[in-house]
Amino acid sequence: MSLKDYKQNMDLCCRCSYCKFISLEMVKGYKHVNVCPSIARYNFHAYSGGGRINMAVGMLENRFDYTDKLLEVVYNCQMCGGCDISCKYVMDMEVLEPINEFRIKCVEEGHTVPALDGVIKGMREKGAMMPAANSKRSQWAEGMGVKDFTKQRSRVIYHAGCRTSYDKEMWKVARGTLNLLQKADVDFGIAGERESCCGGRAYEMGYKSDFLRQAEYNMELFKRSGAEIVITGCSDCYYAFKVLYDKFGMKGGLEVLHTTEYLDRLIKEKKLNPTKTVTAKITYHDPCHLGRLGESYIHWEGKEIPGHIRIFDPPKEFRRGTYGVYEAPREILKSIPGLKLVEMDRRKEYTWCCGAGGGVKETNPDFAKWTAKERIEEARSAGAKAMVTACPGCEGNFRNALEEDGDSFKVYDVVELLEQAI
Amino acid sequence: MALKREIYRALEDVVGPDNISEELAVLHSYAWVGMAQGVETKDLPEGKETRFIRFARRFEAVTLPKDTAEVQAIVKLCNRNGIKFKAFSTGFIGGNVPATEGVILLDLRRINRILEINERNMYAVVEPYVISAQLQSELMKRGLNCNIIGGGSQTSALPLAAHWGLGHMGQSMSGGERNLLAVEWVTPEGEIVRTGSLGSLGEWFCGDGPGPSLRGIIRGSITPMGGMGVYTKAATKVYHWPGPSTFPTEGVSPHYAPREIPPGFMIRYFSFPSMARLGEAMRQVGESEIAFELMGFPASMIAANMATSNQEELETSERLRKQVQGPGFIIIIVGNSPREFEYKKRVLQQIIDETNGKSLKIMEDHKTGGAQLWRFVRITASIRETFRATGDHSGIFPGHNAFAPVVKLAQKVAQVKAELQRKGLLLDDGADAFPWTEEHGFLSHAEVLFRLSASRESLEGVQYLREESAKLALKEPAGVPFSVYGDRLHDLFGPSTSNYHLWLRKIKKAFDPNGASDSNGYITTK
Amino acid sequence: MIKDNLVRIVGANNVIQDQGSLDTYSRDISFVNSVRPECVVKPRSAEDIQKIIKLANESLTPLVPVSSGPPHFRGDTVPSLGGALIVDLSSMKKIIRVDRQNRVVMCEPGVTFDELITAVEKEGLRLNMPLLPRKSKSVVGSLLEREPVIMPGYHWDIADPLSCVEVIFGTGDVFRTGAAAGPGTIEDQWAAGGPQSEAAGPSQASLHRVVQGAQGTMGIVTWASMRCEVLPRVEEPFLVGSPDLGKVLELVHWLIRLRLVNECFVVNNCNLAAIMARKWPGSYQRLKDILPPWVLFFNIAGYEHLPEERVSYRTKDMMEITQSVGLLPERALAEISAYELLDTVQRPCGEPYWKLRYKGASHDIFFITIYDKLPELIGAMYDMAREASYPSSDMGVYLQPIVQGTNCHCEFNFFYDRKDPRESAQIKGLSAGAIMNLIRKGAFFSRPYGENTKAIINRDATTANALAKVKSIFDPNNIMNPGKLCF
Repeated sequence: MSLKDYKQNMDLCCRCSYCKFISLEMVKGYKHVNVCPSIARYNFHAYSGGGRINMAVGMLENRFDYTDKLLEVVYNCQMCGGCDISCKYVMDMEVLEPINEFRIKCVEEGHTVPALDGVIKGMREKGAMMPAANSKRSQWAEGMGVKDFTKQRSRVIYHAGCRTSYDKEMWKVARGTLNLLQKADVDFGIAGERESCCGGRAYEMGYKSDFLRQAEYNMELFKRSGAEIVITGCSDCYYAFKVLYDKFGMKGGLEVLHTTEYLDRLIKEKKLNPTKTVTAKITYHDPCHLGRLGESYIHWEGKEIPGHIRIFDPPKEFRRGTYGVYEAPREILKSIPGLKLVEMDRRKEYTWCCGAGGGVKETNPDFAKWTAKERIEEARSAGAKAMVTACPGCEGNFRNALEEDGDSFKVYDVVELLEQAI
Repeated sequence: MALKREIYRALEDVVGPDNISEELAVLHSYAWVGMAQGVETKDLPEGKETRFIRFARRFEAVTLPKDTAEVQAIVKLCNRNGIKFKAFSTGFIGGNVPATEGVILLDLRRINRILEINERNMYAVVEPYVISAQLQSELMKRGLNCNIIGGGSQTSALPLAAHWGLGHMGQSMSGGERNLLAVEWVTPEGEIVRTGSLGSLGEWFCGDGPGPSLRGIIRGSITPMGGMGVYTKAATKVYHWPGPSTFPTEGVSPHYAPREIPPGFMIRYFSFPSMARLGEAMRQVGESEIAFELMGFPASMIAANMATSNQEELETSERLRKQVQGPGFIIIIVGNSPREFEYKKRVLQQIIDETNGKSLKIMEDHKTGGAQLWRFVRITASIRETFRATGDHSGIFPGHNAFAPVVKLAQKVAQVKAELQRKGLLLDDGADAFPWTEEHGFLSHAEVLFRLSASRESLEGVQYLREESAKLALKEPAGVPFSVYGDRLHDLFGPSTSNYHLWLRKIKKAFDPNGASDSNGYITTK
Repeated sequence: MIKDNLVRIVGANNVIQDQGSLDTYSRDISFVNSVRPECVVKPRSAEDIQKIIKLANESLTPLVPVSSGPPHFRGDTVPSLGGALIVDLSSMKKIIRVDRQNRVVMCEPGVTFDELITAVEKEGLRLNMPLLPRKSKSVVGSLLEREPVIMPGYHWDIADPLSCVEVIFGTGDVFRTGAAAGPGTIEDQWAAGGPQSEAAGPSQASLHRVVQGAQGTMGIVTWASMRCEVLPRVEEPFLVGSPDLGKVLELVHWLIRLRLVNECFVVNNCNLAAIMARKWPGSYQRLKDILPPWVLFFNIAGYEHLPEERVSYRTKDMMEITQSVGLLPERALAEISAYELLDTVQRPCGEPYWKLRYKGASHDIFFITIYDKLPELIGAMYDMAREASYPSSDMGVYLQPIVQGTNCHCEFNFFYDRKDPRESAQIKGLSAGAIMNLIRKGAFFSRPYGENTKAIINRDATTANALAKVKSIFDPNNIMNPGKLCF
């Protein structure tokens, strides 16, 4: 569907402002009530989910032209889906999808942002969304003795992702994952140098054709491997494989799991046994693309039934964030002796974005850091001494924000703590 | 007509370059109207299906002032330069559209602090962009609670922000016009008036005097919706809350429910054989002072509130409509002590027995009822009842009055609505007029909501319904409906209502001699 | 000339110019300057009033509306300027309608509390009254003055229990506020089941609030509707005595917050003795001596449904609270029975008016504040009384929580012999000097009267300016009680 196909959907916006706030039922105090970092930072209604939709309709109706400011508004959004989920608590309408289509329209019509053009150029040339990447993609796995699934069949594929592969700070997480899989005697492989970007972030930035190209490449690779399951520790990749590839009919029967889902399974199957004590008071940050955006895509084709309230034939289900991955990471953390988990005010489907997504880290690093700092403050106010999450994008962004302030607050991946406990 | 550059620069000097915009795309986001009634059918292009035409007149520029001083500076600048302005907080429904070209918007989003919660003296002081969910949450930690308007807890907690300020909990916690204490008001000319004890002492506890009360000028049963300057802070009465400091809600959206209904809380839905029986039950509930919340609702709206999708709403509504015997109400009983709780329940049962009420089983269920209870305290799901169905909805809102005249008018309007439904111009929503009472039954209000479909004819049907409702309201002595604002309707109702419109114009002239405060939702000096 | 016109309007019997009568209206118990009116006119109807106002506008004659009978206390019924007409409404005594279903009563300005209570009681209703109004006090007058009422749980808004008014503004225009405005006549509204209960509006202004507290400077009210409460079937009153005002206020806060009580107020021993003493001066003095310094009075009631059970559970809940605060509720305190006090306060005061019993006059200093500020304010007033050599044991204190506990009316009653020039001067000086000190400590004089009014209002120039604008709308020629407030 293109943006104009969403016009009727977008017309449903009733300007209620739910898109700006977390689930109202879950508000517990004055603080931490915003769900949308964009409007929380910039305040004009245009920056909210509803405001973006309103602008998109205006664009379709030719009420204004592209300007630099318009692009600034369009791209100062982490595509975190908070607006979408909050809206869908009360409405049957898509919010994130038309916001994404608006970006696709911008790109297709030649209105892009230089920083993102640079990122996409890197992906086209090197299969990596990391413009500054100068190491080998699979360097992180050196010495691990892991199978290359492009050469040997594997039941399970581990996809590291760009942000893990090219960030030395994240290598310990990837290596830790492999350690755990090896300990659990899992038959798995990696793509090595042939691993390429999932394309998910490219899609969210509006570069649809680049995304489709990456999707084709990756699915070809996965199919040829004979693998049944692909696991990844990156929430963006998880979302790309599980949701976007399926959306475009490419996923097939491949089971996509996040590392935490798979590791939780292994723990429950007693293939991994956390017995060592890890003493820390931590909080868990739900990555957007693992949690509220991580539920399976719902294929639907049908039509609205006229003369009624808005119902469809066949009945249409909406992805409302209900079935995202929230519990698996928490189960892992709860299984680690000595670890005390406290929850932040904004969690699960109403989590506050880390700030890195949607191209914001590349186009507006200050905004990305601002968003991260809001989250770090929230973690502190929950009484946590460290933040744990399950996405290299989140971890990287938190780390950058902490380094900027010389803050000693710690950020971990779930895998790191689990590895310590095994 | 773009702003003169020196005016734009002057505004920029006030709020900073990051807090002003005249970008067309941004302005269009503010021109979006949540209800299609904001657009006149004459403005619809010929032959075009509506679905819905959402853009009303644009503001000339949007500003984001951060405090009263910046608000004042903007207002004075506008007065000096013959420019109109309008302010709103969350901007949901009613009055967020300028009357003319060239109006500057003050989006009060950055003015968002809770300034004080005085537990002993039962009031809170808020700025315009504190949303009710925030205020209620903070109050609950302190054993207190507040009124939340029917539009939902994502709207402003200021008792002057909403169109009128009534909400589900009006039975025990009244509404905006009555809960208002002191106000900090930037007048249309840019004076800062601090009413009551605020001006005299710098304290918030009283908004009246010395002598006559300026509260009478700054709002009536409805607010001026931007036509009388800007309200930058206000104190509101708060009430006792015996419930938990945070409600034990669990689950993942949209399926929230409490793990238990807190002790001392009960929710029920009762239907009655007739509106007269319902009215009698409401009267007795009011006089016995047992209800924390008492809201008339048709079964279809209950279904809408519970359902997490339109599909589910259809199925639930069909089921519930078969289980009710007529009009009904939701009642929430809260006991400040176990003894009180038991007493209230017994009295309720007596009243229900006497008035032939029938309990809806689904509401007795702990999980469903508990979820409903919290939605009706936090007011989270009004949108499900109203906008989800078709993306638009509207309503006729008779004023605030005694039960009998308000219901009589509402029922007559409902008949007109039924006629339009029969013609296929409005959707069948299974909803008749629904009334509720406030302040333990002393005051009543009733509404007739309706659902438009995505067609020009439907929108024209709505316009017809509005006109007919206005005619009915003129003949039925039920007070001036809440939907009366703007010159045309004031001029229509004024002559048979003590010529109030003439006094309103004089007030407008006295306090806004330059006509700077946009009057789309108020009145002009003409 | 004026007199002739007035006679044409109201008839000769209703135009009074004898010196004795004029003298009565030229002064009151307050310290305002004595100014003799030109004449007294007694309108019979709204039409009369409208004609009087028209005449006053043509001739720029000040009008001073009066509803209650004497004695007057506040100075608002004494002209500030010469040549004024007293518009005495005390003969307008119609009780227009009592509506049990909607709990509303409507009456003319001359109706007193006794008269109205009798009428509403027949319908099973009661009034939310001020504390012991004098016999001649007009109900409408009390409502317009925003007098505090003794059932704070039913006092949702400071304007309560006033609902609607019909007012003839200083322009001569008739206006009905709230639901009474229309559409339709009052009779039409009644026929439709509408009782003029909604006070707000019509539409985007609530002009009843502008008429209230105005001391007749905006217009003349010809009738008012007010909300009533249901007459209880069972009542259990209690007295709590204590030297510890803090504890008493804590208890008051919870009783009102939890809506356990109907009547609820605090008086000091001096005032309670003045109210309840039966033999003067002996029993007054004895009561003062044996009563605790502070006495809280409250009443628990039951209505139609399970009234005894209601009283029973509320009494038990109340006892738990009093225990936790460390106070003891009793049925009687120092020979005063709670039932007797309840009976007393549910009617207007018998003669002589309780404030006049001790020394023949009383000067009241009253304001609104909040609980937290009361101890300091009361302490300050006692200090100032001592400095003025006024015996503190003679100073009455009355604390009335209002607006469901959001505010507290605080009233100091200084009883004195006005025939004694020394005592008069003492009280006058005390009053003048006290106001600013009290304001600094958190007293809000929301109802300023007399010689201190301008100082109170002028504390906030923008409010004064705004009020002046309001005045210019409703009384552009400033004929309505000029010289009052800031007009």
